[in-house]
Amino acid sequence: MDIVTTGLMTHLESKQIGSHFSKGKGGEYYLRVPDNGIVEAAGWLADRKDLALIGIWAVPSHAKDCLELYYAFELKHPSPALVMIAEVKNNQAPSVSKIFPAAINFERRTKDWYGLGFTGLPDTRRLLLHEAYPPDYHPMVDSNPEPLSSNLATTEYSFKEFGGEGLYQVPVGPVHAGIIEPGHFRFSVIGETIFNLELRLGYKHRGLNKLAAGKTIAEVNRLSESISGDESAVNACTFSLAVENIAGIDPPKRAWELRTVLLEMERLYSHLGDLAGMLVDVGYPIGASPFFILREEIMRWNAIFTGSRFLRGAIIPGGLSRDIEDGMLQQFKCFLNTFSRRVRRALSSVDESAWVIDRFETTGIVSPELVAPLSLSGPIARASGYDSDTRQLHTYGIYTGLKYMVPVKTSGDVLARFNVKAEEAISSIGIINETIARCAPGPIFSGFDLKSGQALAILEAPRGRNIHWLRVKNGTVEHWEVITASFCNWLAIEHAVINNILPDFPVINKSFNLSYAGNDL
Amino acid sequence: MRKIIINIFSKKLSSGKYPATEDFELTGLRLKEHVSRVFGRSLAIRELDSGSDNSAEIELNNLSAPHYDIERFGVSFVASPRHADVLLITGAVTRNMQEAVMRTYAAMPHPCWVIAVGDDACGEGLLNGSYGVLGGADKVLPVDFKIPGNPPTPLEIMRGLISFMELLRQSGKH
Repeated sequence: MDIVTTGLMTHLESKQIGSHFSKGKGGEYYLRVPDNGIVEAAGWLADRKDLALIGIWAVPSHAKDCLELYYAFELKHPSPALVMIAEVKNNQAPSVSKIFPAAINFERRTKDWYGLGFTGLPDTRRLLLHEAYPPDYHPMVDSNPEPLSSNLATTEYSFKEFGGEGLYQVPVGPVHAGIIEPGHFRFSVIGETIFNLELRLGYKHRGLNKLAAGKTIAEVNRLSESISGDESAVNACTFSLAVENIAGIDPPKRAWELRTVLLEMERLYSHLGDLAGMLVDVGYPIGASPFFILREEIMRWNAIFTGSRFLRGAIIPGGLSRDIEDGMLQQFKCFLNTFSRRVRRALSSVDESAWVIDRFETTGIVSPELVAPLSLSGPIARASGYDSDTRQLHTYGIYTGLKYMVPVKTSGDVLARFNVKAEEAISSIGIINETIARCAPGPIFSGFDLKSGQALAILEAPRGRNIHWLRVKNGTVEHWEVITASFCNWLAIEHAVINNILPDFPVINKSFNLSYAGNDL
Repeated sequence: MRKIIINIFSKKLSSGKYPATEDFELTGLRLKEHVSRVFGRSLAIRELDSGSDNSAEIELNNLSAPHYDIERFGVSFVASPRHADVLLITGAVTRNMQEAVMRTYAAMPHPCWVIAVGDDACGEGLLNGSYGVLGGADKVLPVDFKIPGNPPTPLEIMRGLISFMELLRQSGKH
């Protein structure tokens, strides 16, 4: 047990609230508290400042006919998280959103799915289920498979209203002008300056969680690859890690080495795409082209290694589905030598363009005070001075033995995010090189016997903290909870755009480059 | 200025492996020929994401990136459905997107065609049976052509467009 957990238990004891500790299969700590202890415990954890609430989800209880709420807080090595479990009585739970603002959307999502009431939740509008769903429909509890009419919506979503002289609203989406995912942005603008932005997402809600229930491990592994296209490998790996935690096995060393290569390739091509996108959005296509070219080359290597340009079908629970020839790996290593020089050259052409820096600097600032309350993670948090990377916090796989730099910037603007992503891309090249150098022949898969159990797995995706919580019963998935980094990071955009001008929104949005699909599930 | 001159004369680094380059150029020229004949030299496509996992959009964006640059073959992605000949729809249609999908289609000038890109949009994906999706694009719109794949590669999308136009020519509907 670590200092946070023991401290919390002592505190609860002093308030005469009983708690029960147990250790999970993924190393996570479970602390069972009564429902009147939730707010007390959350308050104590919030006072510690450095703890982030990384997820709230509901799971049907095994023992009783009721729901249990899970509150996950991120810890440092050796345990990935402290998970408080509280039983829900009378379908009503206290909201912790006043203590942890990031809780609002988690609670809204849980309310949508289960019909749970949260006392004190400031925003009771539906999050993922839009007007096309009947008002009292809750997919996770309603047994009726087809209770929805396909009639078009008649009611309208109530956006926050602002009034006053000179203030007008600009609605954008869900269908945007470019080739991007659907989402609605409601800007309140004075002149050109953004006074407020309200996001409405959920358009891509596909119901992945419920779809997974009752499916086999292999099926859900494929499903995890379709959470978000450019995070296919990391989601497959997070899911696989959760399964491996439950089965109590560790994949062979070579499997982890090759997984690391694939995961870093994913980070590399994602970041290169983001860098290109930011440059396009300030009108610098010549600067963007080298990044597009470099990214395409990595995607072609993806296809050479795994048969899929999105690294699909390679990472499976237990290891890998296919080996990568050593000759190929060595070729790739040679390729990376010139590649990293080309990345640097492309970056220097940006550094030397004063006007690009001018557009990036002081645009879309995420202040460091927002990082903990909104549970931000990944490059966005690191660009705002938050020195935290899941690869270093929990040291899964072979990351412990690798030397690499995790860049941190403090200004929190588009430039900081650009630089963090650029340096992370270069650092990924280093990780791949080092991993290939130490890659020794060996098995790539270890078989396992999966019965029942539950476990948590957290990995660092290109966009930040990626969480899967899995409960398996007799070898099939009973409950699957996914929280991608985008879910919390979207909250930061609403803050980042305030006092910026509307024409700067595209570049601010691109500097985050969050996943709509990963948010909407 | 000095930099530009140095750049002109500097030795270029090898740009890696291009397994499909030659094949790609030939496909591009065939695409151009079809676009010229069927759509009078320019095919305007409006992309619509109805609930995909974003991989198909990434590949469609790649078509405009330097390696492919599909615009030189006469295909352009346009910002509004009012400017489009073809609606390219990716992803299974989610319940939340149904209205937007129908409205986008209604905004298109006729004659227009609908092409589904990717397994989910073709109704073949993993998502069938979920409460959140209605099914493939053909559940909502009259789909003229399907390009399957998870997701289809840029080259496969181009081949798909060629086959679509071949069908149009055969049916004499254009």
